[in-house]
Parts: sequence; C-alpha cells; structure tokens
Amino acid sequence: MNPNIVETINVAREVAWLPWAVQYFFLIGLSYGAFLLSLPGIVFRRPGWAGISRLALLGALVCGLAAPVALLADLHQPGRFWHFYAYFTPTSWMSWGAFFIPVYLGGLLVYAWLALRPELARHAASGGKLAGLAGVLAYGGHESRGALKAAALLAGLGAVLVALYTGAEVAVVQARPLWNTPLLPLQFAVTAFAGAVGLALLFNRFGPRDAAANRRMAGVLAASQVVALAVGALWLALGVSGISPVHAQALAEVGPSANWQVSAAWAVAATVLTLVLAWKAPGSGLVIGLLALHSAWMMRWSIFIGGQEVPKTGAGYYTYALPLGPEGLMGIVGTAGLWVFLFVLITTLLPLDRLAAGSTDKAAA
Amino acid sequence: MNKASEFPSSTPASVSRRNFLRGVPVVTAAAAMAPTPAIAASGKQQWAMLIDVRKCIGCQACTVSCIQENAVPEGSFRTVVSTYSVKLVDSAQPAGTYVLPRLCNHCDNPPCIPVCPVGATYKREDGIVAVDGDRCVGCAYCVQACPYDARFINHETNKADKCTFCAHRVDAGLLPACVETCVGGARIFGDINDAEGELARRLKEAQPQLKVLKPELETAPRVFYIGLDERFTGKVEGEGTLWKPRNLHSTAHG
Repeated sequence: MNPNIVETINVAREVAWLPWAVQYFFLIGLSYGAFLLSLPGIVFRRPGWAGISRLALLGALVCGLAAPVALLADLHQPGRFWHFYAYFTPTSWMSWGAFFIPVYLGGLLVYAWLALRPELARHAASGGKLAGLAGVLAYGGHESRGALKAAALLAGLGAVLVALYTGAEVAVVQARPLWNTPLLPLQFAVTAFAGAVGLALLFNRFGPRDAAANRRMAGVLAASQVVALAVGALWLALGVSGISPVHAQALAEVGPSANWQVSAAWAVAATVLTLVLAWKAPGSGLVIGLLALHSAWMMRWSIFIGGQEVPKTGAGYYTYALPLGPEGLMGIVGTAGLWVFLFVLITTLLPLDRLAAGSTDKAAA
Repeated sequence: MNKASEFPSSTPASVSRRNFLRGVPVVTAAAAMAPTPAIAASGKQQWAMLIDVRKCIGCQACTVSCIQENAVPEGSFRTVVSTYSVKLVDSAQPAGTYVLPRLCNHCDNPPCIPVCPVGATYKREDGIVAVDGDRCVGCAYCVQACPYDARFINHETNKADKCTFCAHRVDAGLLPACVETCVGGARIFGDINDAEGELARRLKEAQPQLKVLKPELETAPRVFYIGLDERFTGKVEGEGTLWKPRNLHSTAHG
C-alpha cells in the first residue's frame, strides 16, 4: 500500500455473485467429486469399494440435485433462466455451462437409478417407509450392466464438462487477477474431490461405521491433500518467482492484506492437519471428513466473496458483511435446508446401512 | 433514421459543454424556426469521450446529473469522480487533491460482451456498449468481467446496469447528461470519426499525453484522458476510502 495516496471519495461496489454462488460451486463440486468416487465400486467393481461408492453416489445425488437451485437463486432474474437456452452464446463459458449441467445431472440420475434399482426393490420388499414408492422406482429391480456403464460414461462426460466450465468460467475473468490463473480450475477440482471424500466419510460415520471403508477413504483423502498442497505450493512458487505474470499479479493483489494472509495460513493449516490426521489417525473419519468439507467450502468462499472484495480500480479493499436475508445468510441456510430435505428423502428410500451393505458389495468383496 | 439526422446541425459534430454554451444564443435564435440538436448525427458515428482531468474540479455535478437523468438507484453510480488526497513532495503544501472521473469506457474490445451468456450485452453500431434489459438474466458475469468496476446490478430492475453515454439523449441529438453539466468543461463528447469535430481535434492535439485506463488489458477504451497520472491508470495503490454509500438494496429486494 502506498501511504502517500488516500482515497477520499469512490464507489464501493457490492458483491454481485452472492453466497448462493458459493453454495452452487461447493455443491456441484462435491457432486462431481462424489460421482468420481462412486465409479470404483459400482462400475469397476473394485473389491472393498462397493459400500464406499454407493455412499458416494448418494452424496453425488443429494448435492447434484440441490446445486442448480442455488445457481438459479444467484440469478437476479431467476424467471428468465430459459434465456440461457433461447440465446446460446458460444463465447461464454456460463452459456456452455447451462448445457453441461443437464448432461451431467441427466447422466447422473440415470446412472444412479440403474445402480440402485436392486436396493430400491429390496427396500420395497422389506416393507419399510415409502416402500410403495421404492417399488415403483425400482421398476422390477433388475441389474443392467451395459446400460449402467453407458449412463456412467454419459455422467462422466458431464462431470468433466462441469468441472471444466466451473473452473474456466472463473479463471478467464482477466479483470480479477486473483481468479485469472490457469491453476484455479485444478484447485477447484482437487478441493471438490477432497470434499466429496469427506462427505462419504461422514455418511460412513453416521451410517454403517465400516472401519475398513473408513481407512480406505482416509488414504484417498490423504493423497488428495498432498495434491492440494502441491498445487498450492506451485501457485505460490509461480507467483513469488514471477515466472508466471498472472500468478505474480494474483499474489500481489492479495498478498499485502492481513485478512488474506490469515485466510492463506488457515487454508494451509487445515490441509496439513487433514493430511496428518488422515495419514496417522485414519480412524478419525468424522474429524477429517468435516475438515475436508470445511476446506472445500472455505476455498470457494475466499475466492468468490473475498475476490469480489478487491476493487478493480479503487484503492484498498471493500469490506463485506454477510447480510442476514436471502442475499446472504438465508441463501446459505436455505441451500443447506434443501440439502437436508433431499438427504432425508433419499435415505428414507435407501437407508445408509442398506445402501452401504448392498448385495453387489458382498459379491464384489 | 434518428431525430438528429433529420435536423442536420451547423454546429461541430462534437462539443464540450463550454463549446455548447457558446452556441446557445445561436441555438436559441434558431429554435424559433426549427429544433437544433446539440450534436450532429449523420453518417457512421463512433461516440467517444475525452476527459481533461486538469479541468475537473471534483464537484460531482456529473455524478448527480447522471443519477437524475438515468434514475440510478440510491447507493449506485454509473459515473463518479474518484477523489484522492495525494502527498506532495515538490510543494509547500503537504498534500493535494487528485480527481479522476470514471464511467463505462465503452471499449472497442469490451470484456463484458463475450462473457454474457445470453447475448444481452452488445455494442451498438455507433460504438456504445449497451445492455438489452429484456434479455438480461442478472447473472452479473459482465459485472465481474468489467476491468473498470463500471457495472453493477441495479437493485430496482435486477439487471446489469452501467453508463450508456446517455444513449437516449445522444439518439435525440443531445449531449450525455454528465457532459452537459460538467462545470469545468472537462468532458468532451463526440464522434471520433468526424475529423472536423471538436473531439477529434482535441484528441489530435492531446495525442502525446493522451491516456486510457488499464491499457495493458487491450480493451481499447473509448474514454480517453488528458492529464491522467500514471499512478491512477490501474488499481490505485493507496489507502482505501472509509466512505461507503448506505446499503439500501435489501429493502428494495423486499
């Protein structure tokens, strides 16, 4: 900061991408990350992975269904969402995203249905809550491996496209140096995957409490934290050394701020703690699961809300106070409420214990 | 055909407020016979603005007239005169004031246009960057992409908002409100293609010291500055303002 210049009059621009956007990027990231985690057990039938993968699939579904609602709410004209489909604009990543989301969610829903039909049929036969609905949804309860793989391929393609667009959409914004780095999409993807593992760890903790699955997921989480730290270190090295001008500019924009220094230290400490716990105390599924979810959310909050606190022309930083209404706290609480509703609905049809201990798990193991 | 082209004017194709006022007696006399536009509008105009920072007195008349002309909601601004207190090293005075009028730069290579997911932001044939309010979804991607912090979400319309060079006035042959009210005659508006016009002439004269904001981004702004201090062309390195407009939009949201 140059103490020789003091701004006395200027405009303080409000954040235009609200906490709804943070919720969207958090949930859609968890969803595609969890989808990835669902593949080893469900599609590739890797021994010991079936339970983990079905819990992950539950996470992909709940987060994937809640995410677009948050995205819609972030529009200041939500009733005009159909304009995205009426006026396709190929130069805009956001415009492409409007088409990628249905590809991913459509593929995910078909994939999940095909993967969970036998469990739905079992639930219908057991006569539990909403057994009638489960019976209708099971539609015979048959397994169709060919169709399942085809749906997984479609959802996989959609997941890659969603990961690509959500990262690129932000990274192309030259006006915000903090966002305008080629590593940002990778950082989003790595933290999303780690958060998804964290979510599956929580499902395991509050469901079947399978110690072997917990250890396996802790190992995956530790590996993801190593990658997250490596990408973070690369970001910092590129910025400090000046090899990459865009990274140097991003660092210069936030480096002098005490708030940002605390945020960076917090992020590194949380990642290191998650890594150490996942590695040395893999049984701490609840703690490392919550830590991973917290890191994924905090990263997005810092990037989106913190990034918008940096004036593009004015001096210093804007200050943000979370409003309590729908443009702030209620957006976060509302999305969380929708998430809980979807979780309760789906786990009523497919209880966590039954989901984790499905027949294919035993067959595969 | 717009109104202005129906009434070709004998006045130069671009004028500052001062120049405009010089022609007022002529205009007043002529008004008895036929309406006379303040600016000519024939051929393929490319509207631009030259801001002579040396003449700006930081009175914010432009800020207020813009708000009144365009019904800008309280707390939002399409233009403002950023004001800085600057320590002086070569003067008996300890500090001086530096003022910098800011507005949409109506870039020739506008970063806000390609990101708009529904094609609501566009460049008119006359160079004005505009927003189609019927199409805008209020996603605020353009707000993020503008490197000049010139855009915002209007909390009364819930759409992207910004300076339009007062397109409605320009189409009627009038000057933008900020130009019309500029006390120091610091804002000169006109057709960059009109070699005889005041804007082109002033741009040519000022060529060696002509600057734009953030030239490194290659956005090709159509707002040019004379007397722009290097320290203020990009994000200003200094202490931020403590002043902030009251946040009233939460009540507007209902």
